[in-house]
Amino acid sequence: MGSRQIAEKSLSILRSLPRISLGNIRDNPGSKITQKRGRGQHGGDKHGAGNKGGGQRQNYMRLGYETGNNPFYLRVPHENYYKGHHHRRQYPPLSLKELQLTIDKNRVDITKPIDIASLVRSGVYNFNPDQKHYGINLTDEGADIFQAKLNIEVQWASEEVIAAIEKNGGVITTAYYDPHSLFLLKNPKKFFETGQAIPRRMIPPSDAIEYYTNPETRGYLADPEQISQARLKLAQKYGYQLNNIQNDSIYNMLCERKDPRQIFFGLEPGWVINLKDECILKPKDEKLLSFYAI
Amino acid sequence: MTSLLVNSFKKLCLTSISRSTRVYSTGNSPTVHVSHNLSVVQKGWKILPQYTKPREVWIENLDTIDENKLGLFQLHPLVFAASPRIDIIHRNVIWQRKVRWVSWAHTKTRAEVRGGGRKPWPQKGLGRARHGSIRSPLWRGGGIAHGPRSGKTHFFMLPFHVRIHGLTSTLSAKLAQDDLHIVKDLELPTNEPEYLLDLIEKRNWGPSVLIVDENDVVPRNIAVATDSIQHINIMPVYGLNVYSMLKHDTLILTLSAAERIEERILNHLHSIDSNKSTAFKLDQV
Amino acid sequence: MATVWRSRCAFAPLLVGKSVRILNNTIDLGSKLIPKPLSVTLCAKDYSSYGKSPFVDKITERYDYEIIKNPPEWEYVKRLLPLDIIPKVTPKDNYPSGWIPPKEEAQNLPYFIRRTKHHEIPIYLNLTYRGTRKVTKIKKLDGDIWLLNHEIKKYLNSTQQRYVETRVHELARFIEVKGDFVTVLKEWAYSKGF
Repeated sequence: MGSRQIAEKSLSILRSLPRISLGNIRDNPGSKITQKRGRGQHGGDKHGAGNKGGGQRQNYMRLGYETGNNPFYLRVPHENYYKGHHHRRQYPPLSLKELQLTIDKNRVDITKPIDIASLVRSGVYNFNPDQKHYGINLTDEGADIFQAKLNIEVQWASEEVIAAIEKNGGVITTAYYDPHSLFLLKNPKKFFETGQAIPRRMIPPSDAIEYYTNPETRGYLADPEQISQARLKLAQKYGYQLNNIQNDSIYNMLCERKDPRQIFFGLEPGWVINLKDECILKPKDEKLLSFYAI
Repeated sequence: MTSLLVNSFKKLCLTSISRSTRVYSTGNSPTVHVSHNLSVVQKGWKILPQYTKPREVWIENLDTIDENKLGLFQLHPLVFAASPRIDIIHRNVIWQRKVRWVSWAHTKTRAEVRGGGRKPWPQKGLGRARHGSIRSPLWRGGGIAHGPRSGKTHFFMLPFHVRIHGLTSTLSAKLAQDDLHIVKDLELPTNEPEYLLDLIEKRNWGPSVLIVDENDVVPRNIAVATDSIQHINIMPVYGLNVYSMLKHDTLILTLSAAERIEERILNHLHSIDSNKSTAFKLDQV
Repeated sequence: MATVWRSRCAFAPLLVGKSVRILNNTIDLGSKLIPKPLSVTLCAKDYSSYGKSPFVDKITERYDYEIIKNPPEWEYVKRLLPLDIIPKVTPKDNYPSGWIPPKEEAQNLPYFIRRTKHHEIPIYLNLTYRGTRKVTKIKKLDGDIWLLNHEIKKYLNSTQQRYVETRVHELARFIEVKGDFVTVLKEWAYSKGF
């Protein structure tokens, strides 16, 4: 009998009850607390200060206020540690452990290069470009359990993370995207539906150029020759055997990179994507071609 | 009187056209092939039912007054055997009532009632109570304090998943109380309203019936037949809602509508919902 | 029409070098309104006031595009479109992240804990009263919830060496356990195969 099966139990009780209609439903008792207008004596007119006396009349000054003196807490000059923090670039973190979990659950496809668009699509990562978020900071939590061999592009990575990925035969690149490109990467479908041409990616600002041209951080603007040297150096430092990419069966996938002016893999700036008719509009005009070639 | 006239006119005019439209509308009976030996429709659900068994319902017909069982149809337990939470159904109903309700009740304050600018009598010396205006709320014919002011909206949004749970709860409750029927299609042999009334009477469906089809184009006969009956209504799948399901005694789904409802709700229950689970803001869109 | 164009012209001197760039680095393909006189003698014209700006007399399709049906690059576009539903987990030899797949035999038990859509066990810790009240909540239950409650109590009694209070909600299908037993209960659920 289904009486001990809770899925069946409530439904079988319903069979012997009157038909549920607009007239006989109600909310759980006690679920709604209605705010009532105060009535009677002092219906909200004392503002909670009580009647007369200190409660109403006494001036309790704010904490630290010394009636006009330069207060103690302001007397000591100090260096504002967080000065201008709202103007700095922020990289919301994603740990290697979360990335591994995402891979284990088939939410990202590691047979294809991974970038921020595929991680946002998987639902594991979210960020807001309008709040100075500039992309993924891949953190080293779970570096010891990480086992995936992939081609990943993030916006910030530490040395441990780079070592953990290269140890498994993978490739990592750090790449800069301007906020406008990040909006496109966050919701590509929304952008394609607007019918605009894919813009170019902007070059990094002056204070980020050093990071993104540095082979140590696998910057996307660094010299490939120096990057392979840095890979070897890091392998020696952390003591692992570096995978020879040239002989790899997935060599083509591991070597796939975006152009510094490119936002999406495989789609060039200037193209218009028509989702409805499943076609791509490519510019032929000389002026456009020269504009997007820069 | 006029409705009678209109009906007779329709009968005269539309019988000649109905045949051609019927041919056009036979397209929405996809899955089950009509056979008199009973068959269970096996369905390729993307999300397989776990533990709880799928519900099985008869596929019925509308082309005869007597009921013909055309086969068995499986319904997904996540949609049609969810726990019937009356409180969630109630919240959905309240939301549907309030979401489009603008209250136009209006009263005048003491400032808006005509007159009352002058102090009726001096403050002191008359032995009377002090008053500053003859339109004060204390006076007869004075303004109303804290009265309703017009143009008050009661708009709010119920969280997305409460809305989904409201739909599954209501569908499950309807199925459990034998108030949900699946029909193969909406083909009627005639466009007489009496035929439909007889059919409902015979099958003991509640007097009021909500018919849900996949699209908003239904066969001509049923559209004409239900046109003059106030308590039999037709609705497309995208209009399905808790309030209408509860307002009508019986819910009739076509095969395609049932599949579509299942597919949509299962999709919502198993999709990445970062945009759906955020609270509704007035300036979103 | 003319009004729109006039207002665009007001910015023309600013866009001399980059006449195709509008905002945010994108190309405005919708702007078919290109003035005739703009290309020839841009510098000589005075656009400083509204009255002096020119009228549009000819509208031309400016940019040439080729439209490619069924392009080979469509595979890259498909990669970017959002997931319809969260995909199923294909069985693998090992899961380095420590995720444990549900077992098939759990379906035969008299009770059942359904995985969430993210393929996780729905056991959570609820902290209330500024973290002083800890309640472990087991959701998405099915089958004989009272037997499950009894088993949980017995299991916690034996592992924790004390009596543990629980609360069963039949209609909403959850069990609440007083105290923080998330890891203990998750281990128990994994051992049962949920």
